[in-house]
Amino acid sequence: MKSSNYSKTHLVFTLLGSLVLLFLIAPVVGMFLSVKAPFLFDTLKDPEVKSSMIFTLCISALTTLILAIPSIPLAYILARKRFPGKGIIEALIDIPVVIPHSAAGIAILGVISRDSFIGTQLASFGLNLVGTSFAIGAAMAFVSLPFLINAARDGFAATPERLEDAARTLGADNFKVFTKISLPLARRSIITGMVMMFARGMSEFGAVVIVAYYPMITPVMIFDRFNSYGLSYARPIAVIFTAVTLLIFVLLRIYQKRDARNK
Amino acid sequence: MLEINNLQYKIGTFSLGPLSLSFKRGEYVALTGPSGCGKSLLLELICGMRRPANGEIIIDGKEIKGRKTKDLPVSMLFQDYALFPNMTVLKNISFPLEVCSRKRDVIHESVVKIAKEFSIEGLLNRYPNSLSGGEKQRVALARAIIRDPLILLLDEPLSALDSDLREEAIEVLIKIKSRDITIIHVTHDRNEIVRLADREVSLRGSSSHNSEI
Repeated sequence: MKSSNYSKTHLVFTLLGSLVLLFLIAPVVGMFLSVKAPFLFDTLKDPEVKSSMIFTLCISALTTLILAIPSIPLAYILARKRFPGKGIIEALIDIPVVIPHSAAGIAILGVISRDSFIGTQLASFGLNLVGTSFAIGAAMAFVSLPFLINAARDGFAATPERLEDAARTLGADNFKVFTKISLPLARRSIITGMVMMFARGMSEFGAVVIVAYYPMITPVMIFDRFNSYGLSYARPIAVIFTAVTLLIFVLLRIYQKRDARNK
Repeated sequence: MLEINNLQYKIGTFSLGPLSLSFKRGEYVALTGPSGCGKSLLLELICGMRRPANGEIIIDGKEIKGRKTKDLPVSMLFQDYALFPNMTVLKNISFPLEVCSRKRDVIHESVVKIAKEFSIEGLLNRYPNSLSGGEKQRVALARAIIRDPLILLLDEPLSALDSDLREEAIEVLIKIKSRDITIIHVTHDRNEIVRLADREVSLRGSSSHNSEI
């Protein structure tokens, strides 16, 4: 009797879960099926599309690599140290996740535009950051950094402090403890966080379009083609870009599985 | 060799000391006492993982206050061995020499020598998660003494082993005892005390009791 109730519950859960999965998968599958192959190949050959995709991937990868340098130590401090205001800092890190991304773009524009203090100073050297790769990288980083910091922090927190203590009693200073013990043991979470940051950054539209319409990143190009030429011109780019994103996630999954097996 | 004078440490509602103890060079001391009386805490204070509120710890004539954990001539064997899971046995054992930038050939020579002494030559390329409890213990001991510490702290090193492995481990500890290292061994086991220790120090929170074996 008990077993029968249990399986009925599971059946209901499975049906409900299937509806959610259908909701997530159907639009993507529909988008893929609605594009005709010759149109897709023509889009792939389009030099504008190609250079936009390469630019988007490169700028997101570069932003992730550069921002990882200060973010990983920050994540370590958050995982290991207790200090006044820690809760506030953790909440601040999550702000980009909860605010509208267009608002994030406005916030970044407020810092780099010519009216701002930084913008005024840079203008005196003849520099303008608005509409540059730097602005795009800043917008991508702003909305995607929480993914890296939170994943790295969780990775460090999951590393037993005992191992760090043991390393210190064996003669390691704090830097060597970090590089030889903490960092390698949190590696999987850090790489996951970096891939998430990279993927989130390259998919960003709202914040980027405010700070730089040109040079055109692919999400802005999809919007631009949709606005100017309609759905049939926007769709092939969307399909290709989604395929690239999915490929990154598949590779991440394979890496995680392989790494877990080796562990 | 190791002098502890009026040592006090408070953690939450628990208070250790004031405690005064003295250990000679090359002495093997069993540190006993009821659970929660502060035995492991005392080891953590000696190896510099914690800073005492009051009192002093003097190793070889030098107060440890203000010195970093890494600079103390003390090694500790943790109850769970604390082997680094991301490193092979070889890397684990050579870790204390690598972090103090010893030359590669010196490291290799020391590792080969100690691996032979502890009969772990065949384990050098394996990772800790593939080792048995007894193997882990021997690797952890080899790692702890490879840099020739003056003091070796053992936090219930045999508690996780079954009786056969425990016998093997006692033999290994007898081998280490023959070196000129002061060993403080936390234990509840009478057999270990009788077989290994020169002296027993029984801890009772704010006091200690000495007895010769």
